[in-house]
Amino acid sequence: MTRNDNRRDKRIVDFIDTLFVEVGPSQQLFDLKEELATNMKERILDFQARGIDADAAFKEAVIAMGDLSGLVDDMRRIGQDTAKQSVYSSMSARISTIGLVSGVLLVLFGVLTSAMVYYMNISGVAAAGNGVFVVAGGVLVTYSFLTRETSRKYAMNKVRAALFALAIGLVLFAVFTAIMTHLAVGEMYITIASLMVFLLTGIGLFLFLVLTGTDRRKDTQRR
Amino acid sequence: MTNTISTDLIRGHTDTIILNVLRQGDSYGYEIYKKIGELSGGQYELKEATLYTAFRRLEQDGCLESYWGNETQGGRRKYYRITDAGRALYQQSKKDWSFAKAVLDKLINGGLDDDQE
Repeated sequence: MTRNDNRRDKRIVDFIDTLFVEVGPSQQLFDLKEELATNMKERILDFQARGIDADAAFKEAVIAMGDLSGLVDDMRRIGQDTAKQSVYSSMSARISTIGLVSGVLLVLFGVLTSAMVYYMNISGVAAAGNGVFVVAGGVLVTYSFLTRETSRKYAMNKVRAALFALAIGLVLFAVFTAIMTHLAVGEMYITIASLMVFLLTGIGLFLFLVLTGTDRRKDTQRR
Repeated sequence: MTNTISTDLIRGHTDTIILNVLRQGDSYGYEIYKKIGELSGGQYELKEATLYTAFRRLEQDGCLESYWGNETQGGRRKYYRITDAGRALYQQSKKDWSFAKAVLDKLINGGLDDDQE
């Protein structure tokens, strides 16, 4: 009994999906499909209650549906906006990928040149100076990572992602200036003083962003 | 010849017929379909596709509102409710039809020459 029910439901959904194949997804299409499926199912049950067998009832329901081409065209027009959207998001995915790659390379470049200059024994300050590339790379990686749309999460909006990147940048910059100051002056209290300014702003901004964040997870309840 | 009305004749009146059903209470697709069949005394059976196209059009024009019913065995039903604009359109269409009916009757049945009557 239940297996037959499932088979019937699947048949209805398949039939309706075929009608709207190649129509771009939209909320309206999703709703229309559900509306059609519910009504079609009730009709089939009605036919069956009158003693018509499942197969014939399904065929009758298909005939009763009539010509849906007008609705299909309508839905296609609505779906086109969504198609544009997905082109847009693949475009921004590409930008995000470029950002991630160059960000990581920038970080590596900073670390390696620092090490190189350090082993050249010129001066500690000169070596640490290259750490500025790590700061820039970190900012770029953060921004690119957050604006990336994945199969489970939507991309963060650009302003928010930029603020997050700024927060990370401030923290990294705080560490960078602290190291620079320490190497240049050698006084711990000055080091801490210069660390404090940027670190506090950065952490403050970061916490604010985390606490006001919205859920970017995609709704998995939907089919 | 046949005992059902021709689709061509009824085409321009689908919206009015739907509004007539809905002014008597909220309803959903299949039920509206059944009520139209009932109203016609089984002499008119429209295609479901015609209904959905009309729903969309009427809703866009502000004559109908829709809402989802609770989940039943068969899935969620999408109900339609007539708006004030819809009621106004229904009244206007009803007047238009009475007028057109009289004129059409003259056009189709009337003779030009009284002698021929």
